[in-house]
Amino acid sequence: MSVQDILDDESELTHLLGGQQAVVLSTRIRLARNLEGMPFPGWAKVPQRKEISERCVDALNDLPKFRRGHVLRMGELADRDRAVLVERHLVSKELAAGKSGAAVISRDQTCSVMINEEDHLRIQVVKAGWHLRGTWNIAEQLDDALGAHLKLAFSDRLGYLTACPTNVGTGLRASAMVHLPGLCLAGHMDKVSRALNQDGLAVRGWLGEGTEAAGNVFQISNQQTLGLSEDAILKHLGGWIKNVIEQEWNARRKLAQDEGERFLDRIARSAGVLRSARLLTSSEAMNMLSHLRLACDMGCIPEERRHIVDRLMIEGQPAHVQARAGEELDSDGRDRRRAAVVREALRDLPELVPPTA
Amino acid sequence: MSKPLKCSLCEEAATVHLSQVVHGKVTKVHLCEACAQKGGATDPAVFQLADALTAATPAAPTITCPQCGFTDIDFRKRGRLGCPSCWETFGDVLGGLLAKVQHEPEHVGRAPAGVLPAAQLRRRLTAARLEMEKSISAEDYELAARLRDEIATLEKQLTPS
Repeated sequence: MSVQDILDDESELTHLLGGQQAVVLSTRIRLARNLEGMPFPGWAKVPQRKEISERCVDALNDLPKFRRGHVLRMGELADRDRAVLVERHLVSKELAAGKSGAAVISRDQTCSVMINEEDHLRIQVVKAGWHLRGTWNIAEQLDDALGAHLKLAFSDRLGYLTACPTNVGTGLRASAMVHLPGLCLAGHMDKVSRALNQDGLAVRGWLGEGTEAAGNVFQISNQQTLGLSEDAILKHLGGWIKNVIEQEWNARRKLAQDEGERFLDRIARSAGVLRSARLLTSSEAMNMLSHLRLACDMGCIPEERRHIVDRLMIEGQPAHVQARAGEELDSDGRDRRRAAVVREALRDLPELVPPTA
Repeated sequence: MSKPLKCSLCEEAATVHLSQVVHGKVTKVHLCEACAQKGGATDPAVFQLADALTAATPAAPTITCPQCGFTDIDFRKRGRLGCPSCWETFGDVLGGLLAKVQHEPEHVGRAPAGVLPAAQLRRRLTAARLEMEKSISAEDYELAARLRDEIATLEKQLTPS
C-alpha cells in the first residue's frame, strides 16, 4: 500500500456523490491518546519511539476498521508523498516533518491514526459534510477498541494525559471545515472570528494552525478539553456551527439580492477563467473554485457538480498536482498542469443561471 | 546593532515578538518563525502558554520527574511535558496554567473501559461525603442517613474483591 493508492482510491472527501453539502465541507474528530509508562514522543529516545510505533501499529492492525488499510512510516516516504498526505489532512505538518512518525489510514480514508506526533496516538475521523454525532460515534468506537488493546495513560482527576496542557482531559478536538464566501465578501468574517474566539472556539485556515484561509475555507474547533464532557464540547461546537451556517446563508442571500447581476457576473468570470486559463496558481484556483462552490449552493450550477469542485480544491494543491503528473514540476509547470486538470474537470460545465436559493 | 533576540522555545533567532499587558504589567515573548507557527501565536489558548514562559526562568531545575528525568526548565522551554508521570510531578506548576487555559481543573469525560466505574464511584463518594457533612450541619438527618447508606455502598463497591 502506498501514497499512490491513496490518490487512486475513491475517498469520501473527493468522490462521495451526494455526501457533499453547502457551507460545511467536512466534520473532523481528533482524540489525543498516550501509552502508560512511556515518555511522550518529543522527549522519548529513538529506541523508545520505535517501540511506541511498533506497539501502536500492532494494535491498530488488529482492528477491523483498518483491514486492508495503509501503514505509512514517514521515514520511508519521499518528500512529495508526505506533502500529499498533509494536503489531504491525513497527517499533520509536524508528523510529516519528523522521521519517526507513522500513520495508519483506513481503506476509505475516513480514519487515520498518527503515531509519534506530539502524542503517541492521534486518532482522527473525517466525514464529508456536517455529521458531528456520526463522526464522533466512529471515533468513540475506535477509541474503545484501541483502549482494549493498549493500556492508555489516564488519571481519574485529569482524564487522558497528553504532552501539551491544552489537550489534557478528553483529548478531544472537534472541528468543522466551513466554506464562508458570503461572510468574507460581506466583510463580516473578522467579527464572526472574534465572537467564536471569545466563546472558546478557534478559527484557522484551510491547512490548520498558522495557515491563511485560501478559498474562504476555515476550520472551526473547540479550544478547551478539560472540565467539559465530550457531549458538552460537541454541543457547544454544534450550536455555533449551526449559527455560522445560518449567518453565512443570510450573507449570501443579502449579497445576491443587493448585487443582482454583479453577483452572477463574479461567479461567471471565475468559471470562465477556470475553464480556459492555461496557467493557474494554487491560491487563484482556490479562490475561483470557492466562487464555483458558492454557485452550486445557490443553484447557479446543478448541485451534483459540487463534489467536482471539492475534489479540485484538494487535488489542485501543489503536491497533488505533482503526484498526479508523476514528476517534480517547477512553479510554472505546476500552474500549467493544474490549469489542464481544472479545464478537463470543468469541460462540460453547464451555463450558469441566476441564483435560486 | 543590538544583539538579535533568541526564540524563547528554541535557540533560533526570534522574528515574532508578542507583548501582553496584564494588570498594567507588560510581558514579552520572542519566538522564531517556526515556533510561532507551531505554537499558533494567533491561537488564544496556546498564546496563554506564553504566560508560563515569560515567568522568570530559574537557573537550575527545581523539580525533576523521577520517571523520565524531565525538569521544570525543560517545560518552560518546550511547553510540553516529558511523560504521563510528569503530570503528577509538575502538578503545582500545571495547576495554575490549567486554570487559565482550561474550563475546569477536573476531567468529567470518558475513561478507558474498566476505569470508568472506579473513577465515577470515587467522584460520587467524595461528593456524597461533602453532602452528608452539609446535611448534618443543616440538621437534615433524614438526608444524612440516606447519604450514609449510599457512602457505605460506594465504599463496598470500591474495595477490591
